Amino acid sequence: MSLPPVDAEPYLWPFDGAWSPADTALVIIDMQTDFLKADGYCDLMGLDIGLTSASIEPTRRLLERMRALGFTIIHTREGHRPDLTDLNDNKRWRSARIGAEIGTPGPCGRVLTRGEPGWDIVPELYPVAGEPVVDKPGKGSFHATDFEQVLTSRGIRRLIFAGVTSDCCVHTTMTNANDKGYECLLLGDASAALDSRNHAMIVAITAKRGGQFGAVAKVDQVLAALA
Amino acid sequence: MLRQVNGLYPWPYDGRWSAADTALLVVDMQRDLLDPEGWFALTGGDTAPLVAIVPAVARALALARAARLAVIFTIESHRPDLSDLPANKLWRSRRLGAAIGEAGPLGRHLVRGAAGTAVVAALAPEPGEPVVDKPGKSAFIGCDLDQILRRRGVRNLVFSGVTTDGAVQCTLRDANDRGYECLLLEDATASDVARDHADQVHTLSLAGGHYGSIATVAALAEALQPETVR
Repeated sequence: MSLPPVDAEPYLWPFDGAWSPADTALVIIDMQTDFLKADGYCDLMGLDIGLTSASIEPTRRLLERMRALGFTIIHTREGHRPDLTDLNDNKRWRSARIGAEIGTPGPCGRVLTRGEPGWDIVPELYPVAGEPVVDKPGKGSFHATDFEQVLTSRGIRRLIFAGVTSDCCVHTTMTNANDKGYECLLLGDASAALDSRNHAMIVAITAKRGGQFGAVAKVDQVLAALA
Repeated sequence: MLRQVNGLYPWPYDGRWSAADTALLVVDMQRDLLDPEGWFALTGGDTAPLVAIVPAVARALALARAARLAVIFTIESHRPDLSDLPANKLWRSRRLGAAIGEAGPLGRHLVRGAAGTAVVAALAPEPGEPVVDKPGKSAFIGCDLDQILRRRGVRNLVFSGVTTDGAVQCTLRDANDRGYECLLLEDATASDVARDHADQVHTLSLAGGHYGSIATVAALAEALQPETVR
């Protein structure tokens, strides 16, 4: 099964024309309650979760289609071990400074701590059996995780990115993947930031200079290629 | 013990920095990117904003050397046989009009050993200052930067160089994930597009400094002033 290219910017994706469920994964970054839902800690801090939660429905539409076609679906979660042994001192200090210290009790359990309700993936996008979930202590999904091991084991060379936030964990992971030679596609409407200027910037610099980090498309453009 | 640098937040966060644990990174200040005959100019990039920060980087370099901080340079480059060059990166460079590995006025574009991969003369490394050749944007992928930093006991990193929206931010983000305490020198970093630099500084300022602090070269100088001249 080889699929037609996606009508992406600034080039038809992937660059070499061919992609299939055997070599392509949908990577859904950090679609966790704390970043997306009312009473999650972003909401409690007064951040605009309207921006991030708007990415749930486009992500769900593509997830269901790609899941049905047998693509690899990989979910990531940002969070720390309950004993915080994987938490950098400066990350902890910065989180405390803005009133949401990692590991302390928040509205949905301990902030960014594995196993807590706020840390888990939202129900609309919850992984099904067989879909790898990568728990990561940082912004990038390659650092201190088995993300690359999973990709290598499955023969994945092409990555389609959805999730939050586009200027933080999505971008860090995508730029790392691009450096490693993966052919990447960012979904502009299935990713979001807590600041619309930041989201627009990420879309712009991704497509800059012929696609310095890959290409950008909307969910409907991917669905059209999958029709 | 040095004074904290006055910036987005007083840096480093815990006040702990010294010559023994701090490095200045000079990112990709190479002729391929800054020279009017280099690869970046040949592919339509505007080198003027990159060249404009050379004096500021030179000042940061002089401060770091005087204070005996570690100084480390990075260079974006590939092996001569291009075995470390991803196929899509090659394809994109060809589409921009100057394929990586092809010969140009400064030798083969972005290939180690070619004239284009030298640091610009005004910022030339001194003996003992490591130069890290990296095949991507991040200096934590496919090279030995992390090994060098850990070997030297470095935990605080000061960033200068180009481009803010390319190798600088990619390296800074990866450094932060690894626990390094990062400081971006906003006037010693640049993008070819002014707006891209400003947007990147805005993003890195998120949540009071999600990835580290941000300051000017003058603030760094002030913090490094010896006690006697305060």
